Amino acid sequence: MLKVLIPTIMLFPMIWSSSPKWLWPTATTQSLLIALISLTWLKWPSETGWSASNMYLATDPLSTPLLVLTCWLLPLMILASQNHLHPEPINRQRLYISLLISLQTFLIMAFGATEIIMFYIMFEATLVPTLIIITRWGNQTERLNAGTYFLFYTLAGSLPLLIALLLLQQSTGTLSMLILQYSQPLTLNSWGHNIWWAGCLIAFLVKMPLYGVHLWLPKAHVEAPVAGSMVLAAVLLKLGGYGMMRMMIMLDPLSKELAYPFIILALWGILMTGSICLRQTDLKSLIAYSSVSHMGLVAGGILVQTPWGFTGAIILMIAHGLVSSALFCLANTTYERTHSRAMMLARGMQMILPLTAVWWFIANLANLALPPLPNLMGEIMIITTLFNWSPWTIMLSGLGTLITAAYSLYLFLMTQRGPTPNHIKGLSPFHTREHLLMALHLIPVILLVTKPELIWGWCY
Amino acid sequence: MASRLSRIWPVVSRVRLSSALGTRCVSQTPKSSAAGAAVASDLQPVSPALQDSHGHTEVNPFEKNPDFHGFHHHDTFVDEWNMRLAFFFGISVAIVIGGTFIHYLPDHGMRQWARREAERLIKQREAEGLPLMTENYYDPSKIILPSSGDE
Repeated sequence: MLKVLIPTIMLFPMIWSSSPKWLWPTATTQSLLIALISLTWLKWPSETGWSASNMYLATDPLSTPLLVLTCWLLPLMILASQNHLHPEPINRQRLYISLLISLQTFLIMAFGATEIIMFYIMFEATLVPTLIIITRWGNQTERLNAGTYFLFYTLAGSLPLLIALLLLQQSTGTLSMLILQYSQPLTLNSWGHNIWWAGCLIAFLVKMPLYGVHLWLPKAHVEAPVAGSMVLAAVLLKLGGYGMMRMMIMLDPLSKELAYPFIILALWGILMTGSICLRQTDLKSLIAYSSVSHMGLVAGGILVQTPWGFTGAIILMIAHGLVSSALFCLANTTYERTHSRAMMLARGMQMILPLTAVWWFIANLANLALPPLPNLMGEIMIITTLFNWSPWTIMLSGLGTLITAAYSLYLFLMTQRGPTPNHIKGLSPFHTREHLLMALHLIPVILLVTKPELIWGWCY
Repeated sequence: MASRLSRIWPVVSRVRLSSALGTRCVSQTPKSSAAGAAVASDLQPVSPALQDSHGHTEVNPFEKNPDFHGFHHHDTFVDEWNMRLAFFFGISVAIVIGGTFIHYLPDHGMRQWARREAERLIKQREAEGLPLMTENYYDPSKIILPSSGDE
C-alpha cells in the first residue's frame, strides 16, 4: 500500500519543484509509474480475501480493481488537461495538478481503508478537491450552481451516515471491516433500526447516484473541466457502489424488505435517464445521463445482494469507469475545437477526423454493452440476478438495454455521420496526445476481455 | 435507414432552429442551462469565444510546428520528448509490462485448476463408464444415525 501512497504524495514536491517546461512530462511519467506499481495489488496472496500490510490499509478483491482504476486514471487526467491548461500561469497549472493528486491520495486511502470511519472521512475529503476543480476551472457560470448541488447533495446524504456509523460502533464495539464481517448479526427489529438502515445507505445512493437524488450529477459532470468529469464519472461514482457493498454485509435481514423501493427506483431510473439521453442536445449532458443510467443498473445489482449481483456490479463499475471517462475525453476534444458542447455544431466529423471516428465508434459500442466487452458481462449478470429476484424486472432492464443502445447509436450518428457542415471543415487535426489518451482508455477495456477474473470481486 | 435519418436530421434541425430564432441563428435565450453554452454566436468570425485570455485569435499550432503532438505549444523539443515519455511509460511499460505481469499471476482461488480437474474427471469417468456425479457425497452405509424413539 505504501509503495503506491508514498510516490503519490511525493508527486506534490515533484510538481512544485519541477521547471515549467518539464512539469507535464514529469507528472505524466511519475503517475504512469505509480499506475504500474498499483498493478501489483492484483496479486492476491491469501484466500481469506484481505491482503494487509497494517491494520488500517488493506486491499481485497473488491477494492483492488477500483484502486487500480483510480491509479490508472491519474495519468489519463493529466494527459487530458494538458492542452486546456496551457494558457494559464504556471502556478495555477501546478495547483490544478496538485488538486488531482490530492484527490488521488484520498481515493486510494478511501478504497484501501479497513476502518469504516476512515473510509467515511476520505469519502468526504474527496469532495473538497472536486469542488475546487469544478467551481474554479469550469467554463460556464453554471459551475457555481453545479458545485453547490454537488457538495450539498452529497453532504446531506452523508451526515446521516456519520450518525449511523457511530451507532454501529456503539452496538458492535468496532468499525473495522476485518472484524465486522465475523461479528454476530445485529438484532434489528424496531422503526429506529429501519431509519438506521436508511442512514447507512442514503449517502452511497446519492453518490451512485440513484435516480431520485441524481440531480447533482448532470450539473457537476457538465460544468467540470475534462479531468473533473473524468474522475467524477470513473471513480467518484464508484465510491458510492463500493461503500454500499461494504455496508450491505451488516444490514441483513432488514434489506430484504427495505431494499424494495430502491431497487424499483434504480430500475425506473435506467429507463428515465435513458429516455432523457435521447432528447439531449448537449454532448456532455448526454454522457452524464448515460452514467446515471448505468449506475442505476449497478445500484439494482448491489441491492439484491446476491453473488451474481455483486460481481456484475463490480464488473460494470470498472468497465463503465473506463468507457465513460473515454467518452468525456472525446467530448472534450470536440469542445476544445468548437468551444461548444452542442451536438448540432459538431456533426459529420467522420469525414474530417476518421481515426477519431474509430475511437468514437469503439467507445460508443462499449457504452451500449457490446459483447465480449466487460460492460455486457456486468449488465448480463445484473439483469440475470434481477430476473431471479423478480421476473418482472426483465421488462424494465430489457427496455433499458434497448434505450441504452438507442442513445449510444444516436450519439455516434449525430457526431460522426451525416454531411459535414462548413464550419467544421476547418477544425484542427487530432493531436497525438489525444490519440494516446483514447488508446490508454480503451486498451484496458479490451484487455479485460481476456482476463475478466480480475474484476469478479470476492464472490467467486 | 439511419443514413436517411442522418441526412434529414441536419436539415430538419436547421429549419427548426432558423424558423424559431430568425435566419441569423443567434440564440436569444438566457444561458440558464448547460445547453445554453451552445450558442450559435460561436459561428461568427472574431467573437470573444474564439479569443484566448490575451485577446488574440486562435492560432493553429500546426502552422508553426507541423509535427505538433499536442503536449507543448511552443517548444518542439519538450513536445517531442513529452510524447515519447508518455508513449513509452503508458504503453510499453504500463500496458505491456503490466499486462505481462497480470497474465502470469498465479491461479487465484484455484479456478483454472478446478476447471482442468473437472474436465479430467469427466474424461476419466466416461472412460470407465461410471456416472459423472453420484447423488450422495458421502457413502450412506458409513453414516451412523442416532436411533429414533428416544429424545
